Amino acid sequence: MIAAFRNRIDAFLGRGAHSTSVPVMDGPLQPNHALDHAELFLNADGVDNLVDLGGALGFSSGARLMRAAGGTAEEIASFEADIACLASDGAGALAVGLDGAGIVLRGGAHDGRRIEALGGAKLICPTAALFAGPDTLIVAVGSEQHACTEWKRDLMALGQSGSVWRVDLGSGSEDCLAWGMGFPYGLAADGDGIVVSEAWRHRLVRLGKSGAGAVTPVLANLPGYPARLAPAHGSGYWMAVFAPRNQLVEFVLRETRFRQDMTAQVAPEFWIAPALSSGDSYREPLQGGAVKQMGLLKPWAPVWSYGLVVRLDADFQPVASWHSRADGTRHGVTSVCEHGGRLAVAAKGPGELLLMDEVTITGEVV
Amino acid sequence: MSAADTLVQLRYRFLPDHVVGEVLSKRWTDNAIPFIALLLTLAVFGSVNPGMFTAFGMYDLAGQIAEFGLLAIALTLVMISGGIDLSIGSVFALCAMTVLTALNVYNLPLPVAVGITLGVGAVCGAINGVLIGYLRLRAFLTTLVTLVMFRSIYEMVLPKFATQIVLGMPDSVVWDELGFGSFLGLPYAFFLSALIALIWHVVLSRSRPGWHIAAVGGARRSAHNAGINVRLVVCLTYVFCGMMVAAAATLFAARLTSVGTDTGLGMEISVLTAVILGGTTLGGGRGSVAKALIGSVIVLILTNGLLQLGVIGTVSALILGVVLLLAVWLDVRWVKNRQKLIDSSYVSPAYIKLTESVNAAENPVYAVNDKLRDVQTIGLGEVEGPEDVAVDRAGNIYSGSRHGEIHRWLAPDFTRHEIFAHIGGGTFGMNFDKDDNLVVCVGGMGLYMVTPEREVVKLTDETSRSLTSVIDDSRIRLADDLDIAPDGRVFFSEASIRYTVHDWPVDMIESRGNGRIICYDPRDKSTKTVLKNRIFPNGIVCLPDGESLLFNETWACRICRYWYDGKKKGQVEIVLDGLPGYPDNINRASDGNYWVCLVGMRGPALDMMMTRPGLRRRMTRRIAPANWIYPNINTGCIIKISATGEVLESLWDKGGVNHPMVTSCKEHEGHLVIGGVSNNRVGRWKIPGADPTWSSPVDYWGAKQ
Repeated sequence: MIAAFRNRIDAFLGRGAHSTSVPVMDGPLQPNHALDHAELFLNADGVDNLVDLGGALGFSSGARLMRAAGGTAEEIASFEADIACLASDGAGALAVGLDGAGIVLRGGAHDGRRIEALGGAKLICPTAALFAGPDTLIVAVGSEQHACTEWKRDLMALGQSGSVWRVDLGSGSEDCLAWGMGFPYGLAADGDGIVVSEAWRHRLVRLGKSGAGAVTPVLANLPGYPARLAPAHGSGYWMAVFAPRNQLVEFVLRETRFRQDMTAQVAPEFWIAPALSSGDSYREPLQGGAVKQMGLLKPWAPVWSYGLVVRLDADFQPVASWHSRADGTRHGVTSVCEHGGRLAVAAKGPGELLLMDEVTITGEVV
Repeated sequence: MSAADTLVQLRYRFLPDHVVGEVLSKRWTDNAIPFIALLLTLAVFGSVNPGMFTAFGMYDLAGQIAEFGLLAIALTLVMISGGIDLSIGSVFALCAMTVLTALNVYNLPLPVAVGITLGVGAVCGAINGVLIGYLRLRAFLTTLVTLVMFRSIYEMVLPKFATQIVLGMPDSVVWDELGFGSFLGLPYAFFLSALIALIWHVVLSRSRPGWHIAAVGGARRSAHNAGINVRLVVCLTYVFCGMMVAAAATLFAARLTSVGTDTGLGMEISVLTAVILGGTTLGGGRGSVAKALIGSVIVLILTNGLLQLGVIGTVSALILGVVLLLAVWLDVRWVKNRQKLIDSSYVSPAYIKLTESVNAAENPVYAVNDKLRDVQTIGLGEVEGPEDVAVDRAGNIYSGSRHGEIHRWLAPDFTRHEIFAHIGGGTFGMNFDKDDNLVVCVGGMGLYMVTPEREVVKLTDETSRSLTSVIDDSRIRLADDLDIAPDGRVFFSEASIRYTVHDWPVDMIESRGNGRIICYDPRDKSTKTVLKNRIFPNGIVCLPDGESLLFNETWACRICRYWYDGKKKGQVEIVLDGLPGYPDNINRASDGNYWVCLVGMRGPALDMMMTRPGLRRRMTRRIAPANWIYPNINTGCIIKISATGEVLESLWDKGGVNHPMVTSCKEHEGHLVIGGVSNNRVGRWKIPGADPTWSSPVDYWGAKQ
């Protein structure tokens, strides 16, 4: 009763849970232009889901599974729907998530096996997968209502129907490790637990392998929406952050009626919402700080899209970051993967696959 | 439009949020709360105490107000200058004793007695004044000490004269009349005090010494830097305070003709309560005679009322103390929050439902193209913010800048340039009149003219104040674009009366009719507002018919026609509605059509927000201005329309390299000269197939003889 009353007051005054403040990028997240200066490896529409194919770099481009070689890419396979996630067990088996159509396995002992539903619900939004053993697959389900390509709609509907599952490929048994999540988007194995990036809540959480359903935040209050996680050479992890948080978006998320009307009546690319790329159409909304002055767009301008790769230490705390800011275009990084001593970065916004020299925690090039 | 929409529209139209701020920004609102408290006190104690409004009650009250009011004014003087005087009770007693001793014991004439009394008050005040003003002692402690000292002197001297004061009888009719006579049912003392109060009111509110006192109290260091002798001013406030206390003591003595050991005891607390209740701030800088009097009346009615209700003195003092605490608390909250409230209620969004825009899919004329790609760039990096451009008969290009300069780019290649004139303020819309004077709208300044000899002449900077406005809106804040009618009248737009050149896009978040169109007539040098409450009126172009003009309402995305003469005089018609962007300037084209610059483009999310003023208001309060939604002024284009509102073509700079936003363009000899208010260059583009001999000055005023 008191809590509800206080919530009403907070809503009126715009504080507490209704505060629109956004954490600043500071410390290890201090902005730079490193992504804009990174080497362009190749262009591919909708490049996503980088995976190490045992020496070669695999990635998805729409519904096609590609293998990068030199400056070009060749198609390995193509599917009936856009590839939503990829996971390799490092021994030839590949789990391929398909947007709206579940997961299909290629190669290995379970070749051809499909996972079309989990816990009785149709699997339409497989956002990430991870082999926890030759027969065990961890699957992140972003949403029960919206497919992966509809992620923006899920965010603007305040989606919290995400879940994480452990599937035994041999017996077919499924355990729900966590549910009620705000778009889990990335998975990383951490000792005997699993760390999940929960995009809509701007945080990384640890799940017990036991499936007790308890989540423990390990890194919270991020200035952006985290996407895929990848293990780093030596120790630590890479985190892709696919869009920035923005005060105006936070505000709109709290304005229920306007948010519902906007999502119902306006085309998604023109919403006041995060995006993988922006500035393509004059019908997109614009914020005061993003007005070009003397022919220049300020790098600090508030934007809908941003490029950010973060290096995490073994405790999932950020230690370094690579950015593409408002005046750059390499936005919407959804996936990273170490490859040949360098870091491959998939900027899904412009459809560019980038290569960066890997940098360790102490700063030297590996 | 739904019923709910209509309600919202009416609410934000007739109860706009900014009126709260405007009313609060008036100085008289400071008195509103004390005045309400006064009415409440009158109502409460008037009803419980029926004797108050009788003739005797009024006579008695008026006599007390006469003395108490003078004391309150005395303390107000000191408090406005940032100090405090706790010794007034003791000085009061000392002065009352002095006047009575002089009259009753030494039988001095009345003027001499009063003179001596005022002198005693002045000396007491001067002691405080020198200690506080020149020796820089703390006012509170100093006057606390002098309170004790003056009281000691009083109590040492009083026994020597007490009996004689009671026995003596001054031989003065004036003295008796002052004490007991009346005029119109009120004591003479009341009229005397009223006169003194009036004088102090004029001094404090309308004279240099009064402003000095307020300046010293408001910001001591600034006052010093402004050349005010701070120490002298502080010292003098205590001297005048002492003299005012002496005057009050004289009236008191005339009324009671005796003094006792309790005379003036505890008086400082009740006077302080009165002054602070009236709204004078403890910190200084804010206070007035009216506040002092309001507070005095409240305190007197309160104490008298409590007395008549049978409340014993100590309890009454306790109540007064509580009232003082309450008043101090209220004062602190008021001073702290008033400006915050004014600031937070400044942006005051209105309901506006824009006509559905025509986009490229429905009308291919709006398709994005790169026609402006091969534009000749002039003055890249040498000019900042050329909002408007003009071309003279010789083909030289003139452009404004945000530095308040007018650049002249010399024909034929425009690589050389000079500062044609420096005006200050942002130089916006400009056009040549028939004598080749360049008439310019200057943001923050008004309408100016630069003669061919480069002399800068102010034409006008204010118009008539509108009748219904709370604040004075006569000054011209954001003169934007102008055109000149064949008879020489200058019609210019003031885009917004609420925002200046630095935050003009914020006016979009309001989209209230904040703008107006003003006419300056050079024949009698008069300025008058011809159209009010337009939504960011911007570009203006006079039609060749000599009786009407076209003007753009930027945030309404429409072009209107206004008749300033002829049969339809005074009428406004919408020529073109539902533009896909926000029209800025409009100018003549050689083929009889008109170039319209769209400074930015509309987006569906913002269009939807425009029908939700409450949402936009919350946005302005919750998030930082850099994150507010803005009109998309990063992309713009130029369109050509006919006089009847038909869109003929559009010119874009796809990719936005040179002219992402366009605020102005003028045609001259087959070329289009382009400017942008946040750009750093002027563009010159060859118009395919345009008349290579057409120039604007010739079209307006004919060839030069």
